[in-house]
Amino acid sequence: MGGRKKTLLGMAALMLLTAPLAAQSWAAEGPGTVELGSLANHYSAVTFDHAMHTGVAASCAECHHHTTGLAPIDPNCARCHKAGDKANRVACKSCHSDKRFSAEDLAKIEGNPLLHHKGKLGLKGAYHQKCLGCHTAMGGPTGCQDCHTRNDKGDAFFHSGKYTPAPKASAEHGGGH
Amino acid sequence: MNSLKSQGFAPVVSDLKKDGSEWTVKEKIMLGLSPKEYWAVQLRNPFNWVLWAIYAIGLPILVGRFIFGLGWVTHSSYDYPWGLFLGWGLFTMVPLSASGFMMGTTVELFGRKDFKSIERLGLLNGLLGYTFAVMFLQVDLGQPWRLIYPMFVSLGPAAVLFLVAWHVATYLTCQVAELVPAFSEWMGFPKAKKFIKSIVLGLTIAGIILSTLHQGALGALFTYAPGKVHPLWYSSPFQWLHFFVSAVFAGLSMLIVVSTLTKWFMRWRCDENYLNNLSKLTLGLAKGASMALITYLVIKIIGIAHDNNWAYLLTGWGAWFMFEMVVGVILPLIFYTMAVRNSNASLARFAAILAVFGIALNRLNTALIAFNWQLYREIPHWRELVIVFTVYATYIVVYRAVLARMPILYTWKEKK
Amino acid sequence: MKKLNRRSFLKGGLAGGAAIAAVGASKQAVAGTHNFGGYPDSMGVLVDLTKCVGCRTCEAACNKEQDLPEPDKAFDDPSVFEERREGGLPRRTTEKAYTVVQKYDVPGREHPLFRKVQCNHCNEPACLTSCFVNAYKKTPEGAVIYDKTVCVGCRTCMVACPFYIPAYSYSSAINPVVKKCIMCYDTRLKFGRPPACVEACPQEVMTFGKRKDLLKLAHQRISDKPDAYVDHVYGENEVGGTAWMYLSDVPFDKIGYDTHLGTQPIISYVKEFLGMVPMVLTIWPALFTGFHLLSNRKDALKNDDNKS
Ligand code: SF4
Ligand code: SF4
Ligand code: SF4
Repeated sequence: MGGRKKTLLGMAALMLLTAPLAAQSWAAEGPGTVELGSLANHYSAVTFDHAMHTGVAASCAECHHHTTGLAPIDPNCARCHKAGDKANRVACKSCHSDKRFSAEDLAKIEGNPLLHHKGKLGLKGAYHQKCLGCHTAMGGPTGCQDCHTRNDKGDAFFHSGKYTPAPKASAEHGGGH
Repeated sequence: MNSLKSQGFAPVVSDLKKDGSEWTVKEKIMLGLSPKEYWAVQLRNPFNWVLWAIYAIGLPILVGRFIFGLGWVTHSSYDYPWGLFLGWGLFTMVPLSASGFMMGTTVELFGRKDFKSIERLGLLNGLLGYTFAVMFLQVDLGQPWRLIYPMFVSLGPAAVLFLVAWHVATYLTCQVAELVPAFSEWMGFPKAKKFIKSIVLGLTIAGIILSTLHQGALGALFTYAPGKVHPLWYSSPFQWLHFFVSAVFAGLSMLIVVSTLTKWFMRWRCDENYLNNLSKLTLGLAKGASMALITYLVIKIIGIAHDNNWAYLLTGWGAWFMFEMVVGVILPLIFYTMAVRNSNASLARFAAILAVFGIALNRLNTALIAFNWQLYREIPHWRELVIVFTVYATYIVVYRAVLARMPILYTWKEKK
Repeated sequence: MKKLNRRSFLKGGLAGGAAIAAVGASKQAVAGTHNFGGYPDSMGVLVDLTKCVGCRTCEAACNKEQDLPEPDKAFDDPSVFEERREGGLPRRTTEKAYTVVQKYDVPGREHPLFRKVQCNHCNEPACLTSCFVNAYKKTPEGAVIYDKTVCVGCRTCMVACPFYIPAYSYSSAINPVVKKCIMCYDTRLKFGRPPACVEACPQEVMTFGKRKDLLKLAHQRISDKPDAYVDHVYGENEVGGTAWMYLSDVPFDKIGYDTHLGTQPIISYVKEFLGMVPMVLTIWPALFTGFHLLSNRKDALKNDDNKS
């Protein structure tokens, strides 16, 4: 079993390098670890210890809004998705798009008259709000790099690491006020 | 020069020298003195020493402003985009220069020929004040070479500043035209004077319209910032009126102040007619100023009542506001009235100084001190202050140079 | 429509003011009348402040997208939150940063609140209406953009903006211009894409969409979770409404928002003056010519008296 999981995980990791997607390694009882790579451009993917988190959470719904096959707890979702396709899936990206800002998705959202769909988070937002929300409340790690190490491109983007600006000699000018 | 005159020196008053030959332009520029005498006079004058000192420090900084940018001479404040250059140079200089249109109106329109001997000083005060307001603007604008953009390149006609730009430009032209007679007499071009005489009424009426609108517009500029200017200095419906009416007494008071200075320091250049009439004219101006002051006081109070801002009077800002009103409006009003009643020109002169101070304080309050009253006070950079002194010194130099030469304080003796 | 009429009227009046100076210019001025705000399908951004974690990814994204100069400190350096400009105020937008995140320690709130500041892209922008070279433009997509090639540098827009947004490149001597967030119009909004900061935010604090939809969404979020938000969508009505709007769990006046701006667009405070312009233009000439005739008649009469 373990070997197969590893292979799958490796494959998933490989996929992640090429596309900023979330890939999961499934097991019957749910994934052991999950690679989350929606920010792969600036960060290495997160290895999410799913098994550990299942131990902490009271129920799947705490993170997934519902348990496979059951109605979602958010009344706004439950209104339409009590049962059926969406209710049968728990993978985050089955509802939260991993291409939230693609032209295609934007058009889809624009065309959708339902308000909740307009405000629905993309995958990246969903992860971060869930993880950080809980970590903040429970005292878990909340720093960006506590979960994913930033790569060189990310350092450049943030002007951090070796790209940190040299400290300015005088802070007198440059739009101080 | 005054002492020179007491020693028997006779300044240029006509095209002809005493011996009947004509003055050359160069001689006129030298005030009819030999070059040696001229420079000796300049060197002797202690006021020039002060000016040189200002230039010694100020000119390099002024040049630096154009080399290193505004960031070098100001605090580069984003919260206070306007500093002393506009607060003093535009918002204070322009009302103090309102004398031009008022003297034009009094003499040409209302036919008060008795003010004739001070009309030209009023016009010159206006012209130079506006010219230097534009100079200050040029120092302040990020890209002064784009000053003509609002005129010809990209027009924003719905903006108040657009109106200010157009009107100040047109009005400057008007004022230049109104002073052409003085210049043409001095240079000896009688035709130009004749032409201006034929259109003087049109110029004067244009001057009134333009002045009403742009003096008001300077106030209206602040109505764009309802939350930023302290309510005691802000009134959406009346701001333009406050600025316009205060410009009336500001211009008249400035004229009294300047005429007093000429009486003291340029006596040599004044003719009998001017000197003999000055006290009487000062009282005439005082009367006009006191009427404007009382109007201003009333509409200021209306402004406060309209927005129900009474409660602010009890705050620290209120005390500061009351200081401005008492020293800059109520006291001058009282002194002017007393002066007119007792024919006391000296008292009117004192009132004028207070009124000029009051206007400066009001404009600086609106533009700087009570601006962003909920944030913090901006203290201008020292270089900003130096530049203000330098440009203002230049204003004085030019003012004095023109007065010393052209027939402003004296009447030109026409060729027979 | 009513607003538009008023605008055109005022514009006409001012153009007339200029017309006495230059007829040619005013023609162009009137022709230049264009639509202000009120674009029905304009886009906007709803910022849910309760979700922001202060990571400043948005600042970094803006810096990159707008090709701004190197920041003074790294974008992951939290010490900027403690920086104070004059008057003890937090950082604001500058010529080098079109957006900044501020931190507020709110008494009684367990965690600090972070607030992202950038141009709000007003429906009737004060900056636009105050600009005398017409550099600003409100695009149908909702962005307030500007043409830096005509900016003269009078900085009236900075005086007029009620949110203290536009900055100025004081540091430049040759080509200083006004600087502010343009809602990524050139590179993104024009093509229907959301701004860079919106897309980069890991928390998806900002929702991009049609302004009118966002408004409904905002109110629904409040009614869904009345305990999680104060019942106020900042930007819905402030100074005539803004394209960027905010939800918060802390009263807005406690976190640096000006809640006294009123609902009228800034231009409405200027209208008394603008309305007066045509009157002065028409009445003054007649009035003063009249005065002149009257006073001269007196002179004439006097002369007659003297003669007889
Ligand atoms: S990127 Fe998002 S969460 Fe981070 S500071 Fe900006 S708005 Fe807040
Ligand atoms: S927030 Fe300020 S800069 Fe932005 S559109 Fe409104 S007035 Fe203009
Ligand atoms: S919308 Fe674009 S320009 Fe404005 S703050 Fe965001 S990234 Fe910067």
